[in-house]
Amino acid sequence: MAELSLRVNGTTHQVKTDPCRMLLSVLREDLGLTGAKEGCGQGDCGSCVVILNGRAVNSCLVYAGQADGAEIVTIEGLAEGEVLHPLQQSFIDRWAFQCGFCTPGMLMTAYGFLLETPHPEADEVRKAISGNLCRCTNYANIVAAVVAAATGGPQP
Amino acid sequence: MLASPTGYAAPTTLEDALDLLAADPDNTIIAGGTDLVPGVRAGRQTPGLLVDLRRLPLDHITAERNDVRLGARVTFTDVLESSVLAAEYPALVTAAADIGGPPIRNRATLGGNLVNASPAADGAPPLLVYDASVVLAGLSGRREVPLLGFFERPGHTVLQPGEILIEIRVPRPAGSTVSSFVKLGPRNAMAIAIVNAAIRVDLDHAGGVRQCRIALGAVAPTPIRALEAETLVVSQGLTPETIARAAAEAARATSPIDDLRATADYRRRMVEVLVQRLLTGSAAELKPGNGHG
Repeated sequence: MAELSLRVNGTTHQVKTDPCRMLLSVLREDLGLTGAKEGCGQGDCGSCVVILNGRAVNSCLVYAGQADGAEIVTIEGLAEGEVLHPLQQSFIDRWAFQCGFCTPGMLMTAYGFLLETPHPEADEVRKAISGNLCRCTNYANIVAAVVAAATGGPQP
Repeated sequence: MLASPTGYAAPTTLEDALDLLAADPDNTIIAGGTDLVPGVRAGRQTPGLLVDLRRLPLDHITAERNDVRLGARVTFTDVLESSVLAAEYPALVTAAADIGGPPIRNRATLGGNLVNASPAADGAPPLLVYDASVVLAGLSGRREVPLLGFFERPGHTVLQPGEILIEIRVPRPAGSTVSSFVKLGPRNAMAIAIVNAAIRVDLDHAGGVRQCRIALGAVAPTPIRALEAETLVVSQGLTPETIARAAAEAARATSPIDDLRATADYRRRMVEVLVQRLLTGSAAELKPGNGHG
């Protein structure tokens, strides 16, 4: 057992747990943040993506112990109260989801990408989401939603 | 039941990391975890204590007078963001862009890619054409080993039990040189290579080929250099005829297998296609007036 300090969406949590559990499990089960999903458990689908120390990562590939002391942003941290993040609003406006399973990971990947590339072209967005699988859409609305969110609205 | 590591440690010094590794043969280094975690999940690996390198200062990319030194923990995102590497090691940067997707690249490390020793490791052919060496640290000291010769067979390198790969050193190319990388995979991202290839051509002052390196992955038990093809280019130059012969010679240097991604025959054919493409591209790039020299 280890005492881990995880700063998630601006709040520091002291979590006592096996450091060899995956970060995804700790977020979902210990902190109740069930936005991140386990789609494959091996880094292939992107539905578990969260921001770890400023970078989008597959939380299914991070042991909890590796996140001790880290700054984490999950999908639950995007909106400010009732005000959706521009990315979230853009996904709604442009029908960039259907079942929604890939959506938290897709949004967090997009969020992390826009931190690095605030004004992307569509082709750059396509590459940015190449680690996120969507089985419902054709990705086109997702790409359009990210580009639109980047050109209008406040920066992440 | 899934195999699980038995514990986790994040030592703050290299000596502590080496001590932890030495304490039990099952104790295992973890860096980005992008190979280790799937391996554990699939039961291919059963680590004891995880020894995390994250608190060790191993993420530098520093340009020395004669070489560039990359810490083992440099991620592929770090490679993509490095202006030093962009200027002098384009094949490595291209390879980094072809690995996984962004979340994988944000965690996967250069050192891990080499130590994992997949025959298809995308980091290997570029580093081979740049004559890289790796620094291995153990309790009894450090040694520097040429990357050519580091790989022994799939999943195995010359790393001894208890040793940690801590740095990759790449000599700085001098003079007129071009290099490039290509990866052929079942799709454009998130794929293991069917074939990958890197080349490098250096010219002498007279415009003749001084040196040529051709490195291939996923076509042998380890990443390889196509030595006879290289010699051909050095002796005969970058004419279309020589390029075609060198590409065929490169295919003969391989010993590919049939696997779920491709047949051996397809791999041999693709080596020839890709090497021809890369050499033709380098010939064009080296033409006077194309900004080289």
